[in-house]
Amino acid sequence: MAKKKHIFTPVSEKEVTRAIVDGFARQFIEYVESDCLIIGGGPSGLMVGRDIALKGVKTLIVERNNYIGGGFWIGGYLMNKVTVREPGQKILEELDIPYEKAVKGLYVADGPHACSKLIAAACDAGVKFANMTIFDDVVLREGNRVCGAVVNWTPVNALPREITCVDPIALEAKFVVDSTGHDACVVKKLEERGIIKTAGFGAMWVDRSEDLVVEHTGEAHPGLIVTGMAVATTYGLPRMGPTFGGMLLSGRKGAQVILQKMKRK
Amino acid sequence: MSDFIRPIPSTIDLYQEGDSGSLDIAKIGEYLEEKTHIPFHNRGNLYKKIPQKKLEEIAKELARVRVQDPGKRFVSKAPFQGEVDYERSRISDPKWKIFGILYEGVLYKKVISDLIFKGGVDFECCPVLFTNQLFGTWDRDNHRYHARVSLYGFPNLISITGLVIAPAKPKEFYLKKQMGTPVEWLKEEYREMFLDHGDSRMTEVLKGYGMQALLFHLTGDPFCADRDCRLFNSHWQEEVLHSQMDGKYEFCPRHEKILKGLRERR
Repeated sequence: MAKKKHIFTPVSEKEVTRAIVDGFARQFIEYVESDCLIIGGGPSGLMVGRDIALKGVKTLIVERNNYIGGGFWIGGYLMNKVTVREPGQKILEELDIPYEKAVKGLYVADGPHACSKLIAAACDAGVKFANMTIFDDVVLREGNRVCGAVVNWTPVNALPREITCVDPIALEAKFVVDSTGHDACVVKKLEERGIIKTAGFGAMWVDRSEDLVVEHTGEAHPGLIVTGMAVATTYGLPRMGPTFGGMLLSGRKGAQVILQKMKRK
Repeated sequence: MSDFIRPIPSTIDLYQEGDSGSLDIAKIGEYLEEKTHIPFHNRGNLYKKIPQKKLEEIAKELARVRVQDPGKRFVSKAPFQGEVDYERSRISDPKWKIFGILYEGVLYKKVISDLIFKGGVDFECCPVLFTNQLFGTWDRDNHRYHARVSLYGFPNLISITGLVIAPAKPKEFYLKKQMGTPVEWLKEEYREMFLDHGDSRMTEVLKGYGMQALLFHLTGDPFCADRDCRLFNSHWQEEVLHSQMDGKYEFCPRHEKILKGLRERR
């Protein structure tokens, strides 16, 4: 009687483990030092990463959740439609994300489709990710220039210290991006150290906040680029509603700032 | 002319800051000249003759006078470079459209005053700046900043954006908005009852505010208690539209007499 063929090649458990550890370790060692370390894998962080990685910039995105994409999966009130205002739809077109016109100047896309395409675009461009990794502190050099981040595993951070007394580790980079949304974690850490003073975001004003967020995107402190909603928190700009064009365009502007600064260096 | 506390200015100087949309500043000047016989100069963009180095200084000053929290008293802080960069971009572009930052009105006026008067005050001219930016003043009664349409002094500031935002819209507008009616529908429904950005009535309405500025210069009091007079201090959009466009007369008898006297004197 003929022996039945397996669909998959037989591999032992230890080989699976070795492959995971080896793959992770090789990438991690390589990215302990990068050109750009992006804290926060939401739409603006992904957009920065995608645009700079396309230009050959070595980029690592640190994301505290298991999933990448932040709030881009869903729109307002847990409804999975995301909206962008003109000219944000041009980025949707660039990323090959289908969308419909809602009213003049406002476009709507499926959250899962838009978000997964943006993540894929970042991956295709060469961005690497450290997910389930939480930002803990900044690495500072002469003149308080930000040149890296101290990180830890998210679960370690979530448990009481008596149970998980695990020290964090540091990653270095030429530039750090704070794309952590309203929390503005990196900027807030500088504030904790008395280096800068943020204003906190104002009331929601969709009509105006997107423009202001994009216009204020840039280097808030030497070595630290702020994008997305972290910009609103840093400068006390009006809070944005569930429309994502500002996040995408802010990410793009953040990327332009980094590329210009790297060129100058 | 016992109403006058200052000399009659020899010119009314009209300045502009940022994109003024459909506003026709020359028409406002012509109106003021016709009513007072004081010639006007349309000076255009406030920052047009300012050297780059000075622009950087002004940008820093403007970044310093932003209201960070409208619910708290103003506290001056060292601005971020990002804020200075934003202000520099804004004042370098005469067609700058973006607004949304609330500036501390009195301090904002001081920055503009230093720019126009170079440290002193000259009563020979009556400068009026039409800006697309927002400024506010602290309200001692309810302990918060309120956006304003105008701030009279030396110079006078008039906010085109403030005219849309500061005077309250009809109560029904806010009630329906709270109940979830989309703003675009409400704008359509109440279009005749308030001014919107780029409104074709803006020039006509702001003629009255220009006159308030001149009356402040002359008498120290820009306002009139008569809601049919263009000098009425409106708090509601309906009052703005009534006093500026549908009043019984342009100016109440007392102010009409002042203006007549001014014309005869010139």
